[in-house]
Amino acid sequence: MTERFQRVLAASLATLLVVGAPLPAGAYLKLGGRVDGRTVQLRWERLPARYFIGQGTANVTAAQLEGAVNRAFQSWQDVPTATFAGTFVGFTSASPSDDDGMTTIGFEGRPDLDRVLGATRILTNEATGEIVEADIFLNTTFDWSAASGGEAGRFDVDSIALHEVGHLLGLGHSAIGETELQGAGRRRVIAAEAVMFPIAFSAGNIEGRTLRADDIAGVSDIYPEGDFRDRTGSITGRVTKNGTGIFGAHVVAWNQRTGSLIGNFSLSNDGTFTIAGLEPGPHVIRVEPLDDGEITSFFSESANVDINFLGAFHDRLVIAPRGGGSDRTEIAVRPK
Amino acid sequence: MTFGNRHAVLAAVLAICTGAVARATVIVPADLTELVAESTAIVHGRVVEVRAEWTEGRRAIESYVTLAAATYLKGHLGERVTLRMPGGRLGAFRSIVVGAPEFREGDEVIVFLGNHGPSIPFLVGFSQGVYRVVVDAANGQRTVIPPAIMAAGGEPLRLVRGDGRRPAPTIEQFATDIRGLVAAAEAPRR
Repeated sequence: MTERFQRVLAASLATLLVVGAPLPAGAYLKLGGRVDGRTVQLRWERLPARYFIGQGTANVTAAQLEGAVNRAFQSWQDVPTATFAGTFVGFTSASPSDDDGMTTIGFEGRPDLDRVLGATRILTNEATGEIVEADIFLNTTFDWSAASGGEAGRFDVDSIALHEVGHLLGLGHSAIGETELQGAGRRRVIAAEAVMFPIAFSAGNIEGRTLRADDIAGVSDIYPEGDFRDRTGSITGRVTKNGTGIFGAHVVAWNQRTGSLIGNFSLSNDGTFTIAGLEPGPHVIRVEPLDDGEITSFFSESANVDINFLGAFHDRLVIAPRGGGSDRTEIAVRPK
Repeated sequence: MTFGNRHAVLAAVLAICTGAVARATVIVPADLTELVAESTAIVHGRVVEVRAEWTEGRRAIESYVTLAAATYLKGHLGERVTLRMPGGRLGAFRSIVVGAPEFREGDEVIVFLGNHGPSIPFLVGFSQGVYRVVVDAANGQRTVIPPAIMAAGGEPLRLVRGDGRRPAPTIEQFATDIRGLVAAAEAPRR
C-alpha cells in the first residue's frame, strides 16, 4: 500500500467514523432488456442455482476452486434481505464456454481475452428473462492464488469468484470506483465501493472478498426477502442538459447518516433515473459522466451515452421515504 | 442541509469513494499507450454486419462483427475486417457475456485489434479496446470518450469523472493522438 493511499484511506476512514457505520444501500445495475416493448429482468426462477466445478489451473486445484466458489455463493446467500441461493452439484470436465444447460465454473485458457481475468456467460430465455444457465470462466492466461491470505503477484480466486457470481445471479456492473494513471504508463484502481466494480485491483490484493452495501442492495432488489421493499425507499429523478434529458449519467446518492454511497444511471433518453433499496432518509445527490473508462462495460446500447458534462451536485437533499419513492428530482448539468 | 458548502460535500463524497477499499474484478486496466502497443491494427470504421452463429458442434453462441474500414491508424487488415465476440442472439435464446461490447449495424467505432497467428482478430483489452464515436447534440461534434493517457514521466493522475479539464476529444484529435503514440512506439531507440 502506497504512502499516498494510506493517507487517503486514513482520511476517508475518519469521515466514515463521523457519519456512522455503513448500512445496506444500493448502487447497482441489473441485467435485463426490452422485449416487445416491455422490460425483462434477468433472474433465476428456480433456486437454488445448481452449479458444477470444472478444471483447475496451475497453483489452484479444482477442489480449491470449489472452495472459493462455495464461499462466494455463501456470501451472496448470507445477505439477510435476499433469497438467492446456489448449490454445488459436482465436478465436471465440461467447458465453461459451452451453452450446454450446465452451469459450469472453471478455468480456461483464453489468450484472445487478453485483459479479462474472468467472465460470466449467461444463457437466458429472451422472452421471460429466466436464466437457464450461467457459466463462469477464469482465464489461465493470468497467475492465480487460492491461498487464504493471497499471494503477491497472483490474482485472488475468491475475489474474482465473488464478482462473477454477482453476474451469475443477475447483477451488472457498478460504477462506484476510481482509477488513476501512473507515471509508468499504467492505469490502476485506487478504490471501489462495490464488488461489482468492473476493473481489477492489482494482483495479490484480497480485499474484494466482502460484499458492500451497494452489492447487498442489488441482490436484495432482484431477490427481495419478505418486506425488503417496504423497509427501504427509492429516489427518482431526471438528469438534464440544456433542458433535455440525457442517457447514461451516473447518479450517486450519499446517505450522510449511514455513510453509504448509492448509485445508478439515467436509463432512458429522457434522463430518468431510479435508485432503489435505499435506507430511508435524506441523501446528497451527485451526477457525473462515465468519462473515465469504457462505457461498454455498463451499457449494451452505449452509442447515445452522454459523457460531455461537468460533474454536479443537486442543490438540496433528497428524502428516500420508507416503502415509497421520493418526489421527482430534476438535476441540471452543464456541458464541459 | 443546503449546498452553500457544495465543495465540502464534494470532498467528503470523493473521500469516501476513495477510501473504502473494495475489489471487483473482471478486467485488468490498460491505458491508451498499452492498447496502442499491444494492437496489431487500429481501425476507424462503421459496423456493417453483426451475425450470431453457433460454434462448431452447437457448443456456444458467438457473434461476428464486420466493419467497413474508413481509416487504419495502425496496421492494415483490408477494407473490411471481421472480429469475433462471445455471445449473441439466436432464436429464443440470448447468450450474454457481461461486460462484452455489443455492436449494432451503423455504429461508428475505433477498435484496437490483436490476433494470434491466422485467427480472427479480437479486441485488445476487451471492452477497453472499443472507442465509440458519438455526436454531441449541442454542437454536432463527433467525439469519443476521453482516453486514459498521460504524459511520460508525469505524476500519478487521478481520473475524476466530470472534470472539465478532460473534455471529450473530437475524432480527429483522438486519431492524431493515436498516430503519435504509434510513431513513438515505432521510433528507433538508442
